Amino acid sequence: MSHSTVPRTSAEAGTTVESPVASDDVTGAREARRGPGKLGFRLRFRRDRTLLLMTLPAIVLVLVFNYLPILGNVVAFQDYDPYVSDNGIVAMLHSPFVGLANFQEIFGDSAFWNAVQNTFVLFFVQLLLFFPIPILLALLINSVVRPRVRAVAQAVLYLPHFFSWVLVIAVFQQMFGGAGMLAQLLRQHGYNGIDIMTDPHTFPLLVTAQSVWKDAGWGIIVFLAALASVSQDLYEAAAMDGAGRWRRMWHVTLPALRPVVALLLVLRVGDALTVGFEQILLQRDAVGPDAGEVLDTFVWWNGVHNQDFGYAAAAGLIKGVVSIGLVLAANKVAHLLGEQGVYKK
Amino acid sequence: MPLLAACGGSESGSGGGTTSGKNAKKILPAYVASNVVTPDIPAKNGSAMGFTGKLDVATLKSSVPKKLGKGGKVTIMSPFWGSPPKQSCAYYTAANAMIGVDVQWQNQDGNTYDQKLGAVLASSDIPDVVVIPGWNMTGRIPSAIAGKFADLGPYLSGDKAKEYPNLAAIPSDAWQRSIFGGALRGLPQPTESAANIVPLYRRDIFDKEGYEVPKSADDFMALCKEITNPRAKRWACGDMKWTAFNNFGVFSGAEKPLGWNLVDGKLVYRIETPEYLEALEFARKLMAAGYVHPQFKLGKSQIGDPAPLFAKGEFLIWNNNLVNWYGQQASQAAQNPDFKVWGMDIWNHDGGNPTLWAANPAGIFAFVNKKASESVIRDVLAVANVTAAPYGTKEWMMTNYGVEGTHYTIKNGVPVKNDTGNNEVVNAYVMVASPAPTIAHPDFPDVTRAMVEWEQRMGAFTRKSSFWGLQVAEPNRYTNLSDNFEQLEDDIVRGHKKISDMQQAVSDWKKRGGDKLRDWYKKLLDENGSAAS
Repeated sequence: MSHSTVPRTSAEAGTTVESPVASDDVTGAREARRGPGKLGFRLRFRRDRTLLLMTLPAIVLVLVFNYLPILGNVVAFQDYDPYVSDNGIVAMLHSPFVGLANFQEIFGDSAFWNAVQNTFVLFFVQLLLFFPIPILLALLINSVVRPRVRAVAQAVLYLPHFFSWVLVIAVFQQMFGGAGMLAQLLRQHGYNGIDIMTDPHTFPLLVTAQSVWKDAGWGIIVFLAALASVSQDLYEAAAMDGAGRWRRMWHVTLPALRPVVALLLVLRVGDALTVGFEQILLQRDAVGPDAGEVLDTFVWWNGVHNQDFGYAAAAGLIKGVVSIGLVLAANKVAHLLGEQGVYKK
Repeated sequence: MPLLAACGGSESGSGGGTTSGKNAKKILPAYVASNVVTPDIPAKNGSAMGFTGKLDVATLKSSVPKKLGKGGKVTIMSPFWGSPPKQSCAYYTAANAMIGVDVQWQNQDGNTYDQKLGAVLASSDIPDVVVIPGWNMTGRIPSAIAGKFADLGPYLSGDKAKEYPNLAAIPSDAWQRSIFGGALRGLPQPTESAANIVPLYRRDIFDKEGYEVPKSADDFMALCKEITNPRAKRWACGDMKWTAFNNFGVFSGAEKPLGWNLVDGKLVYRIETPEYLEALEFARKLMAAGYVHPQFKLGKSQIGDPAPLFAKGEFLIWNNNLVNWYGQQASQAAQNPDFKVWGMDIWNHDGGNPTLWAANPAGIFAFVNKKASESVIRDVLAVANVTAAPYGTKEWMMTNYGVEGTHYTIKNGVPVKNDTGNNEVVNAYVMVASPAPTIAHPDFPDVTRAMVEWEQRMGAFTRKSSFWGLQVAEPNRYTNLSDNFEQLEDDIVRGHKKISDMQQAVSDWKKRGGDKLRDWYKKLLDENGSAAS
């Protein structure tokens, strides 16, 4: 986040210290940081300690569950046997190092490349077919004026988000499976039944359809919030200038959504290699790993299922490194387009 | 001896190996047979004993005259299929009181047990007792067993076992299988060596429609064609892969060592045999022809239990574990009196006698944490001595039926479980150790008789492969070699992969270590000999 938050915070904290940093201009802030008006660490600490205290639990959680486990990546360079000593952590000290052998093996493993390919295919299909839908839904909901209709519509759209994947897939199986409603309906009318659930060729579409049904409604929340913050004055002014419904959407609504869309897009790209673990794991066998294996299930299969933890950790590490690259790249693109992105230097 | 030294020396047993012959004799418990009730059908051809007669519950004898438990607390982690009852339920309370040990159950979902097991064994917080089925001993679990669990030899080897008469009555071949890493570590559940995957079929519907039980692959195909009518929501069968392996005489796939067999002086693994490919092709054809219920196309992760579909008659033939012959029959008896499930004899694909390969004499084991104190180990053995009590004793009745009045009532001299019994008296105590293989369902004497006789007929065609009866741990470097074959089998059967992909995978397997693994097994066989005589 930019430096402009600092003086605002100090004002909120009720201190009387004046800060020279009052500009949104980043270069200005940088100069100010170096300049004579910079606050000493102790002073800043005293000023912000309440806030720091409040963030402490979150920081501890992040440290324990996000940062500490990073150390475990060391097993990617080992022939790791979690059972050689009393517990899995001590076992890291007793497992032999094998250098880059795991990585060498992975890069020669066609199953891995197959998983990478499937992951990217799923990501692009979902980006094209899933990402725009919450935006459209948000615009639709936003155009509903009567509050009661709106509340009911929202509730109906949000609900599937709270179903577990097992349930969602079971429902899809009942509808579109080989003995499902659709297949039986076709058969009763003299056609051949179809089984959408086990067809590897349409698997990306199936998975995306499930995601849309389950989560598209939930995804509109952020966009609705962005839409709510658009000043009504802008609409009125545009209407006064003779802008019709579509013109108002093009010139007022969509520009208002642009920063949010850019932010979510950056986040989504950074998460590109994560395409729905549980959902896919449940259906992996139905279409076979050729179509249904993604990076996350590859890691699961080799690590948890086959107990080849070093190999799985190596695959996970590759995924992590590539993901960082993707976030940085997407963020850069967002900056080039004049948006905030996830963070700024 | 060299191999024993190799794995006994380093506790982790990462070099793998087995223990047999003289070395095994030294640590096996003494065998003292005990049968309280004479079986109506004695064991034959590797079958279980069958008990079909009524049981006089009032005059049951006790096989544990003196309570052996010292009142300690013992935690047991065990796979559980279904929803487990509360720790405070009447069954656990009564069984604990009978044993004299406070057993605390940590029941885990049996279908995903392998996913939890690896993590629990890697933690420093292992329960006092962990129950591990053989099919979950994949990857590095065998080396974990050798490293993490206690040697029970000091309490059970030789005549020491006589202190626990019901454990001493467990057949020696089941104990032989309980030797891990050179020491007696498991408390076994003995199983019959006769084939245990039976093609169950809806006999009521077969009789009504006049379907004939098939005798060959061609018969079976023709029958499937006759039965299948998707418009009426009826398919012939489920995924028949495991039966197909039996139809074509493929070496056992239950455990890796069982899949190896000496053919003309050379060890051959099951995936290398032409029969393996033929069986897969047969199972594939059934699925491709549309005879298999679509639910089975979902594979292992299939959502939903096929049992209700079988009960509704959506498919009529289901290869299943033998215990489900009784299980399916009993579960439908109340609401569907016409329902009758029966087992088909396994036919050879060409119509002749089948060639079947023996199952191991024990498949599920309970292990005691290496860190457990002597008093905890003694208490665990007290638990096992009760759960291993033979049919016809008070202890057997408690383990398998619970408390009279609470869990079952006597109708016409036959114990019948009520709802509480069906909810509470499942899994748990039966998982610790059991008596010699027994089939005893007094409520369905005709099913009991048919099950035992099926085993005896199939047992006559059953042969033992080279490593039958041994507990073999493969060296760590080879343990992941065959990981993906089951997946590939299922993909081929479902049409996602071709037979030629399997041939490619087998040739890769040989290059990546399969041939070396063959040499390793050959050496093991030369040095230890076969347990099967």
